[in-house]
Amino acid sequence: MAQILPLFTSSVKLKYVKLGYQYLVNHILTFLLIPIMLATALKILRLGPVEILNVLKSLRFDLVQILCSSFLVIFVATVYFMSKPRCIYLVDYACYKAPVTCRVPFATFMEHSRLNLKDNPKSVDFQMRILERSGLGEETCLPPAIHYIPPSPTMEAARGEAEDVIFGVIDSLLQKTNLNPKDIDILIVNCSLFSPTPSLSAMVVNKYKLRSNIKSYNLSGMGCSAGLISIDLARDLLQVHPNSNAVVVSTEIITPNYYQGKERAMLLPNCLFRMGGAAMLLSNKRRERRRAKYRLVHVVRTHKGGDDKAYRCVYEEEDPQGKVGINLSKDLMVIAADALKSNITTIGPLVLPASEQLLFLFTLIGRKIFNPKWKPYIPDFKQAFEHFCIHAGGRAVIDELQKNLQLSAEHVEASRMALHRFGNTSSSSLWYELSYIEAKGRMKKGDRVWQIAFGSGFKCNSAVWKCNRSIKAPTDGPWQDCIDRYPVHIPEIVKL
Amino acid sequence: MAQVSFICKRTVVSTKPVQPGKYSSLSVLDRVMERNHLLVVLYYRSKRGREVGGITKKLRESLSETLTSFPVATGRLLKDPKEHWMIKCNDAGVRMVEARAKGSVEEWLRNVDREQELKLVHWEEMFHKPYYWSTFYVQLTEFEEGGLAIGLSCTHLVVDPTCVTMFIKAWADTTLGGKMVSPPLFHPLPPRRPGNMTIGHKPYTPLINHYKSFIENPPPLAVALQRHSTATLTFTDQMVKSCMDMVKALTPFEALAALFWVCISNVKAKKNGSGLTNMSICSDMRKVLGLDKGFFGNCMVYNKVHMELGVQENDHQLIKAAMAIKEVVGEMDNEGIMDLIEWLEHNDNYQYSPPLMNGRDDLICINLEGVESYMAMFEDGYKPIRASYYIEPTVGEGQVIILPSPAGEGVLSRVVMVTLLEDEVVKLCKDALLMHFSPTILMGVK
Repeated sequence: MAQILPLFTSSVKLKYVKLGYQYLVNHILTFLLIPIMLATALKILRLGPVEILNVLKSLRFDLVQILCSSFLVIFVATVYFMSKPRCIYLVDYACYKAPVTCRVPFATFMEHSRLNLKDNPKSVDFQMRILERSGLGEETCLPPAIHYIPPSPTMEAARGEAEDVIFGVIDSLLQKTNLNPKDIDILIVNCSLFSPTPSLSAMVVNKYKLRSNIKSYNLSGMGCSAGLISIDLARDLLQVHPNSNAVVVSTEIITPNYYQGKERAMLLPNCLFRMGGAAMLLSNKRRERRRAKYRLVHVVRTHKGGDDKAYRCVYEEEDPQGKVGINLSKDLMVIAADALKSNITTIGPLVLPASEQLLFLFTLIGRKIFNPKWKPYIPDFKQAFEHFCIHAGGRAVIDELQKNLQLSAEHVEASRMALHRFGNTSSSSLWYELSYIEAKGRMKKGDRVWQIAFGSGFKCNSAVWKCNRSIKAPTDGPWQDCIDRYPVHIPEIVKL
Repeated sequence: MAQVSFICKRTVVSTKPVQPGKYSSLSVLDRVMERNHLLVVLYYRSKRGREVGGITKKLRESLSETLTSFPVATGRLLKDPKEHWMIKCNDAGVRMVEARAKGSVEEWLRNVDREQELKLVHWEEMFHKPYYWSTFYVQLTEFEEGGLAIGLSCTHLVVDPTCVTMFIKAWADTTLGGKMVSPPLFHPLPPRRPGNMTIGHKPYTPLINHYKSFIENPPPLAVALQRHSTATLTFTDQMVKSCMDMVKALTPFEALAALFWVCISNVKAKKNGSGLTNMSICSDMRKVLGLDKGFFGNCMVYNKVHMELGVQENDHQLIKAAMAIKEVVGEMDNEGIMDLIEWLEHNDNYQYSPPLMNGRDDLICINLEGVESYMAMFEDGYKPIRASYYIEPTVGEGQVIILPSPAGEGVLSRVVMVTLLEDEVVKLCKDALLMHFSPTILMGVK
């Protein structure tokens, strides 16, 4: 008993020490400036008004000198303002809500699996085990073509799904932002596995009769992190084109990629991937500052493709029977953790407060010089961000990141609940999570959000947003009718 | 001849998830019907110039919504600790098949026979592991030149014709206006009313014995099905009235059942050379048990009609037949049915060889006068133009189902569906006594 008390009091003392240290280091400039300003103010006051006037008169102002110095000031100011990157605002975004008739309860999924894979009971059992532990709920949606027995993933059905999702989500965005389609200057569509000719972006241009001088891009094959890659591309384009609007559409079309074979490693995506999509309106126009929801602060991209194991860990190939599917290797989690570490190392200095960076530097120096056995210091990212949107790639991914970044259950709640309600919607899952945070009324002005996405390649991309104005709940969005039921307790294993 | 082409099969689920862990037990009257299944076909006209495929999508969406109120329909069969069937409401959904047919619905109805009609309904026999077997199947067949046929098939273990019609009506109400006029009621059969416990009451043994004989001697699980044929005849209001007057019957069922009993016996007598065949009737007991018509579950009870043997004049035979039927119907009162239910509760260990209630050498006459199939309106102003019911498998001497007529044909008008061996059906349609009541043959043998 006596031993616990000292530990407790010492840990409390440590907490206060830590707080004090953080305040000191983070506001060091203020702490240095205040004494200097006080000293200067005291000196001036001591001099007295007559003395001050004398000092001013002694400074002889020449016309040429005045002109030159003012030109210099103006020149420096202009260079500064011209070279400052434009502010990129996220005006608003919309997420796709699938019709209720596309709902796939667990029992239906398992039944279809059993009927379609009649001769492979082991594969069916594997799918059942995955589904039980997946963290998905009973309201996730699959496209109509997959509801058939057997599924009929024709190209026509894939186009149908693409039209439903993409047009649905763009209609929603146009309505929310009062945007005229003719005012769209840049259009970026990303969909990894479905890439028809003409492209999906051409499909959008055709449907909404966009301008003929539109800058349209279609990104395919880039996996679940393609959403943030599109945001990065939009940002770069908006630096080059002044006064422009960019619409980014992120989605994944499930229909053509439903694996119909029996290899277990390839059946995993069938259990987790679900219908979903999101559209974002980004702008660099000054007047959007009033109504924009977020401002883009950083985008950090890390590509581990140089390492062979990372490159092959999510690999699309034919199985021994000739059926195409995506093979997920067993060391996916290890590679993901490695990619995350890489990304954190780059983003840390950009976002962490000085106190955390110093601590990290000291421990790094200490490990290199003094004692390699010191535990590496994991910076506390909760100091840098109020909200976290972790790509809902699967329960294991969220668990892993929660552990690595030492996040609390509330921080990862948005990711877990988005996985439960919508499943893994690939590149658009980050936007469903952001929508959840807004729907819960937790987004205040000045809050910083960190979006992390992983994708095949192996890539880890991050985006940092700052909330521009407080967003009042209730919001319209995909969570509108069910937010009151959340958060839900998700059991480890759901008995099927 | 119109051809039916299959388009796709899928599963339709409810719009709201079912609370996990819900189970629904089956009553004794449900479990005794394990080996039977129901087939219902409803025909509708459609608006001129309407695109084929549109109504199927609309009906699929409204079916989803309707299923939210019928968790029992989307559940799956499971055995409880006592090895009795029960339903786990696991939200798995019902199977739906979509099909197209050439021609128009009116053309089809003019030329259809049993074999063709059964193409409009999809049925799958129970799997070895029924946990993955859907208990309900819906087929939507759109006619290319106008019209729609809705085929519903389901296991008799869960529903009887009255409640399956209520389900269709609920689906129609949801499609039309969005609100279900009479929601279903899920509860077990009622216990005996306390006021009915008379002292020294002797149980109604004939009914109990009837069921006992089926339970103790079930036919083998694989019954050889002979080639049956079905004819649909309709009797006008006036003809039914005259028949009722002739035999002094209280209800059209009694009159028509007696009529068909005699006529079919005549047809078979030409082969077998004896008097009236053995006959059982089957009736809905909801009113008798004091249940609301929305009660979801089996409430049909079979009973044998006793008639002395003896060759007699046709007319007297008819009147005596009607009297025998009236007597049996009268005996199936609340006390009698409660006796049966109580007996069944103590004698239901037939898990490994369940009885087949229509599976012996009886002609079965089924009273479906009260089903409201013609009230199921999916689109404003379009009521069904025909409703066909089948209780399969048909074995034994044959089956006669007495159904209501579409509205506007008179209160007493009835439609009768007769299933017998093919040659017997042909002979029946030419029988003199039957022709005396000038029925119109809606569906015959080709």
